[in-house]
Amino acid sequence: MGYLSDSFITAVGMIFSFDREVQLAVWTSLYTSSCSIVIAALIGIPAGLWLGIKPFCGRRLMITLLNTLMALPTVVVGLVLFGIFSRQGPLGSLGLLFTPWAMIAGQTVLAAPIVANYVLATVNGADQRIMDTALTLGATPFQAGVQLLKEIRFGVMAAVIAGFGRVIAEVGVAMMLGGNIRGTTRTMTTAIALETSKGEFAFGLSLGIVLLCVALFVNLFLNFLQQR
Amino acid sequence: MQPVISIRDVLLCHDKGFRLSIDNLDLLQGQIYALTGPNGSGKSTLLRIMALLSLPQKGKVTFAGGIMDLTEQRKRVTLVEQSPYLFQGTVSENLQYGLKLRGVEKEEQSRRIKLMLSIVGLEGFERRMAKELSGGEIQRVALARALVFKPDLLLLDEPTANIDSNSLQAFEALLSKLTRYGVTVVFSTHDLSQSDRLGAELLQIENGHLINRPNGAQDDNDANKWRNSHG
Repeated sequence: MGYLSDSFITAVGMIFSFDREVQLAVWTSLYTSSCSIVIAALIGIPAGLWLGIKPFCGRRLMITLLNTLMALPTVVVGLVLFGIFSRQGPLGSLGLLFTPWAMIAGQTVLAAPIVANYVLATVNGADQRIMDTALTLGATPFQAGVQLLKEIRFGVMAAVIAGFGRVIAEVGVAMMLGGNIRGTTRTMTTAIALETSKGEFAFGLSLGIVLLCVALFVNLFLNFLQQR
Repeated sequence: MQPVISIRDVLLCHDKGFRLSIDNLDLLQGQIYALTGPNGSGKSTLLRIMALLSLPQKGKVTFAGGIMDLTEQRKRVTLVEQSPYLFQGTVSENLQYGLKLRGVEKEEQSRRIKLMLSIVGLEGFERRMAKELSGGEIQRVALARALVFKPDLLLLDEPTANIDSNSLQAFEALLSKLTRYGVTVVFSTHDLSQSDRLGAELLQIENGHLINRPNGAQDDNDANKWRNSHG
């Protein structure tokens, strides 16, 4: 018990003394996760909207595929992209492996299906009259889609936050594509895994507390949006 | 008089087996038409076809003024549903929506919004939140939103179903006034006395077929049969 409490006190001390290593890992996590969620939102929001409002052949298959992609194990995404970005891979010449860009690409693959699926569910649950009202007031189908997004904006924001929650907490992609390089690709999750294995439990715990705080903040914000 | 909208050999089949078939229908500018018929006869479906929200599997719906793309045609017609949807935001923002899409300047927008709200009896409602309005107020805002951009054809699906008797009189007076400005109005109703009060021409529909036509080609036997059976 003393070990745990001593580690906890040390961890809190590291957070409030703005320990450089802790700061670097937090910054890298927030930077890569923010970039990936922006790209995932740019892909996932139109995809979810399109699947929700446009009847076409193969729509059910696409939705099933999207549901499957939501459950993708992070290490599998990491493995596939590792093959693509590695020197012998098709994009090896770009030299992206073990850079934040490779991590962002992997996290985008993880988050985009989540954003698309949540947006699809929100569109399906939205009032069916929104699109018709916009169209009958003279909107083009695109303008009507934009109006629909405005009307369901809180659901769309919840979708983006859910995607962010997924990428900030993942470890497989960050470890396999980032390589856990100090100062550039070491995130909170990979640092926790490394430092704990080295016996630096207090350091891992300090990052765990920050990660929990981020997750708590994200969930509080999500609840706030869902109640509106 | 020039027809605002012409419907030729239109056929629309729903998945559930309902079939709407209209051979020939012209609606003239500045006229008011009452679309009547029993529940499930196809009134709302016909209104949606005229509003270009449901596209028929066969036939043509054309507007006066030659060939236009679908969006341009939609800009000339508008449908106010029985339970209209108001967008989130203020009453003013709802009325602005159609005006912005038509590129109307801001000052002109404000002028028209003010005028239209006063016509529907909602002066000073510009800043009220749409979601806080009563059923009757929603109906009137939806009507103002439809009229503010001066459509050629105004379609109303059971517009008086949710309004009280005082508002009904004002509403009917407004509809009569609209036709004087050249707006063609089609409203669906179960109340035949309302069509008499408004001097509307009857469009009677039953089982997806028009059983009379407004411009003379009326099958009196069928129309009288329907009128007698529905009081």
